[in-house]
Amino acid sequence: MNLKANISNKVFAFDNVKEVLAKANEEKSGDMLAGIGAASASERVAAKLVLSNLTLEDIYNNPVVPYDDDEVTRVIYDGLNTTVYNRIKNWTVGELREYILDSDTDDGRLKQLGRGLTSEMIAAVAKLMSNMDLVYAAKKIINQAHCNTTIGVPGTLAFRNQPNHPTDSIDGIMASAKEGLSFGSGDAVIGINPVEDNVETVARILTTVKEFMEKWKIPTQNCVLAHITTQMKAVEKGAPADLLFQSVAGSQSANDAFGVTAVMLEEAYELAKVKGTGTGPNLLYFETGQGAEISLDCHHGVDEMTMEARTYGFARKFSPFMVNNVSGFIGPETIYDGREVIRADLEDLFMGKLHGLPMGIAPCYTNHMKADQNDQEIGTMLCAMAGSNYFMGVPGGDDIMLSYQDTSYHDDASVREILGLKPLPEFEKWLEDMGIIENGRLAKRAGDPSIFDK
Amino acid sequence: MVLQVTKTNNANYQTVISVGIDIGTTTTQIVVSRITIMNTAPGSSVPRMEITDKEVLYRSQIYFTPLKDHHIIDADAVAQIVLREYRVAGLTPEQVDTGAVIVTGETAKKENAKKIAESMAGLAGDFVVATAGVNLESVLAGKGSGAAAHSRDKHCITLNIDVGGGTSNIAVFKNGQVIETACINIGGHLIEVERQGDMITYIAEPARAILRECGLSWQVGDRPGLDEFISAARLMAKSIIESITSGDISPITGELLMTPPLKLDYRVDSIMFSGGVADMIYGDSRPVSVSQISEYGDIGPLLGWAVRDELAAAGIVPEKPGETIRATVIGAGAHSVDISGSTITVDEAALPIRNVTVVSPFVKGVPEAGGEITAAVHLAAQRIISDGSAQYVAFAMDGPAEISFAAVQELAQGIAQGAADFISKDKPLIVVVEKDCAKILGQCLKIILGEKGEIVCIDQVVVGEGDYIDIGKPIMGGRVVPVVVKTLVFENTATRKD
Amino acid sequence: MAAESQMEQLIVENVMKELAKRGLTGNVSPNQEETTKKAARPQPKSEPYRESGDDPLTIPEITGIWVPNPENIEAIKVMKQATPARIGLYRAGARPKTGAMLKFMADHAQAMDAVFLDVSEEFLQRMNLFLVDTMAQDKEEFLKRPELGRKLSPEGERIIKEKCEKNPQVQIIVVDGLSSSSIEANVPDVLPALTQGLTAAGIRVGTPFFIRNGRVGVQDHVGKVLNAEVVVSLIGERPGLVTADSMSAYIIYSPNEKTVEADRTVFSNIHRGGTPPAEAGAHLVDVLKRILKAKASGMKLNQ
Repeated sequence: MNLKANISNKVFAFDNVKEVLAKANEEKSGDMLAGIGAASASERVAAKLVLSNLTLEDIYNNPVVPYDDDEVTRVIYDGLNTTVYNRIKNWTVGELREYILDSDTDDGRLKQLGRGLTSEMIAAVAKLMSNMDLVYAAKKIINQAHCNTTIGVPGTLAFRNQPNHPTDSIDGIMASAKEGLSFGSGDAVIGINPVEDNVETVARILTTVKEFMEKWKIPTQNCVLAHITTQMKAVEKGAPADLLFQSVAGSQSANDAFGVTAVMLEEAYELAKVKGTGTGPNLLYFETGQGAEISLDCHHGVDEMTMEARTYGFARKFSPFMVNNVSGFIGPETIYDGREVIRADLEDLFMGKLHGLPMGIAPCYTNHMKADQNDQEIGTMLCAMAGSNYFMGVPGGDDIMLSYQDTSYHDDASVREILGLKPLPEFEKWLEDMGIIENGRLAKRAGDPSIFDK
Repeated sequence: MVLQVTKTNNANYQTVISVGIDIGTTTTQIVVSRITIMNTAPGSSVPRMEITDKEVLYRSQIYFTPLKDHHIIDADAVAQIVLREYRVAGLTPEQVDTGAVIVTGETAKKENAKKIAESMAGLAGDFVVATAGVNLESVLAGKGSGAAAHSRDKHCITLNIDVGGGTSNIAVFKNGQVIETACINIGGHLIEVERQGDMITYIAEPARAILRECGLSWQVGDRPGLDEFISAARLMAKSIIESITSGDISPITGELLMTPPLKLDYRVDSIMFSGGVADMIYGDSRPVSVSQISEYGDIGPLLGWAVRDELAAAGIVPEKPGETIRATVIGAGAHSVDISGSTITVDEAALPIRNVTVVSPFVKGVPEAGGEITAAVHLAAQRIISDGSAQYVAFAMDGPAEISFAAVQELAQGIAQGAADFISKDKPLIVVVEKDCAKILGQCLKIILGEKGEIVCIDQVVVGEGDYIDIGKPIMGGRVVPVVVKTLVFENTATRKD
Repeated sequence: MAAESQMEQLIVENVMKELAKRGLTGNVSPNQEETTKKAARPQPKSEPYRESGDDPLTIPEITGIWVPNPENIEAIKVMKQATPARIGLYRAGARPKTGAMLKFMADHAQAMDAVFLDVSEEFLQRMNLFLVDTMAQDKEEFLKRPELGRKLSPEGERIIKEKCEKNPQVQIIVVDGLSSSSIEANVPDVLPALTQGLTAAGIRVGTPFFIRNGRVGVQDHVGKVLNAEVVVSLIGERPGLVTADSMSAYIIYSPNEKTVEADRTVFSNIHRGGTPPAEAGAHLVDVLKRILKAKASGMKLNQ
């Protein structure tokens, strides 16, 4: 392992793989907050150079958090396909990049490759990729999943209808949900973040949405994004949930802070199979984001992008229906501006897809970041080009409960039209029957939430 | 059957038991309902208590209203009904948190109506209030029938008309809110007939106008033929239809209206009929003989049939409400009580207070200058003091134009000075504001008044001059008080069409 | 073929004529050019800008219903009452209408300004609050380094030791947090209501002051320096687009090294559209009385 590099007659030496990974990262405020980011542009390039020459075996032998100390590392290593790994362990990270980008490397080969890569390897190669590289590679990978409907069908783009309300008012939630449906948003899931994390609220929202879905025969899934244990209690009491949700992170200590373990997620999956209303086999919904571990001070000196990759390594064990990345949600201490968030979104989409996950992205921003609507729209278009399975759908782009900005119902419909993408097949049929879309475009009735109040 | 009166009580979730008693022209009924109040604000916000659920737990059997004669209600018999039903339901007055007794229709005109309402309220529970008034009846019937909820759920305008024994009470709801009320003195029990027979046993005053208009000169003891009965019922039905549709009002309808007619300057989407006569309107049998229709001792069934025919002639298809004959009593039981805003200032010892007369000192909103506030409050207080009729008075207002600390302080000074003559140890200063500012207004008032008197300052309650309110003891960990806004218009004391 | 080339000919001729009209080809007589210009071409006004006397433009309101011929307009009205979300504003193609876009931009601008601008000196003077800094030098550092906003600067610590009454029962501090505008919007009503109520209850209130670039945790530092029994922070919340002016009150009883976040009692959503600030001030008086009596705040208070 050569951990030294000469850039413009200056020699940079790194102590270990973890440091190389951190310093090879594109600039992110979270890495600087943790004191592990590159101090200069030259040092960053030096780290990339060193990284490009490391073999996959070097990375395998140096997990950023030790196997014995951390459940996430154990899940990643225990789930690795050693046949694939043994075949490629002598490749350098630079060679891995070229193999991924190679014209002959198709979806099938990439899926197989992903099984033999640890999360650190996937993070490593993404650090050697430009934004266009990331789009180019991510676009090749098609990851589908099935709950009540199939997500990730080539040529489709789905949306989570996210009709949050600042006091969990059922009328308020349903008002936004109707607005979203009238724009064709909601084929991924109708998913609500509740303010109050209690069984009563979760059950009430799940039931209302489910009844609405049944009344209008809407082919999709429902979900309430409370803590998973609250949802499980609601399901035990008979509340109808298609998907169970949980936020997950890339270290055991961060998952502890979220109050979640691998065992708990397995139990949730079993419960969803036995008592849930989703058809499956994919019954879970995860959210992740770069910077979560740093903001919780559970990062072990590891950069936020590598931690995010490890999150995907943990998530893939549970075969989720959807994984949604919300890197832009956490705040300026981890992602400072529009440039950083666009980069993070593209990294996350690529890394998640190479992990075999049905990825969606929330190219979002908060009001204390140096970012605006234009940054978000650029990120959305790029992620759509890179084959994101879905985006969020928020009324007017303004989430009035979580106080941040995300893709709007309008953006959803726009991206579909720009790139010629369609809603998920069953949902498209429903939209056509409702007169919401016609020939792949919004029809006259689209944008009228009162079509459900005839 | 024994009612399981389970109650939950903590600072964020509480259920209260509410009783409704309707003493109507023909029938007397009781319902028991459970009202759920919850803190709907997120944990980190200032609490916001709201009524989240109303559930009817028990419906009594339907009694004929016991009368001593045509002028006096049989108080003992009514009390027996209440006690009997409480026993059947397994309910004690101590378990009852709130509710309302309403004396309706012709019964409200009886000499002892007011006394009966008050004594039944006392019998039924600690915070069960006595109410009366045709507009209130109309609103409660429309809420109890489900018309208000229908208008809210369907986002439409729904008209409810409760055709009872003595009156037909009309309320129009838009998106769940009442927009207009009216009442016409027509009901199924205005002409009484020997049960299963055909002899007339009583003709109430309003029915004489109908008979005069039909050219009929019936007297008690007559046995008219079916055709004559039908012609009287038809005229009544025509008047009812006139009162709920736009178009000219005939002189007889005008004469029988107890309120100004509906304006109806809007489109009505649905019409619902509730009340004892309603079931005949939605049924499909036809009368063949007088003795067949007189099973209740009145012409109610015939009126129902006539209304059905007149509706068909007018091309109106009525919507069936969730409740018909029990609409008013459910309205009284489940929909009469409301709760105040969740940040208020009350001296608990001063509560509950009943029959508080509401005065509105400010005609056009609260003035900015303290002097003007003082003058207006003083004037209102003087009016009440000189009148001498009101025991308790509440000063009602919408609140300062902008709820700033300075404006609230100014308002508090003005009220304290203006009401100075009125405040005493045994008469709390009662202020009811619409805007969310009772906590700070109460704080300012307390500091100004010091030990001079107790304060009850509540918000988010809308009342106007001429209303009465009852204010209960605080619930939900002391955060809110139950409030019943009511009218006390007993027909024998009130002037018509006021 | 013949028909096609004829059509082509016609198109070319029309294009050339059109170009000629616009004076884009050379072979048109000057005279002809002059007349066509006058007849067809709108003339740009070259008048200098003059005060028109019109009122300045304002950002469009989005409270209305912009859906043309909706199925049920009453239903949309009720929906809009049920949520502050941006609904019923229809679309231009699949994009937002111009008014909705401008309103969004204006709301975002207000939110950004709330975060990135400072509370004005004039405001602090008017409220009689002196200013101290935290360890964060400026807004960028404050945003990127949360821990710096949880500690007073050495100078700040010196100033409060000098100017503030020691050992108060209740110490009120005003902290910009993530919204300077929420401070300017709410403190003028919360602070007097709170002080009046506490004083009337005979509670000893310390000397209030303002902390720039501060976070919630800075109250622990202040509490320790001044030996306050309770510290109340009036602090700006992270702004949303619905309002940038929402403020929270965080209350800690006897902060020390073992203080954790769950020890704080918090009331959020204080602004004109939420809990009105004067009302919130009076409510806080009740809460503080309870905290002083129970000698605990946060989860410990609720136990």
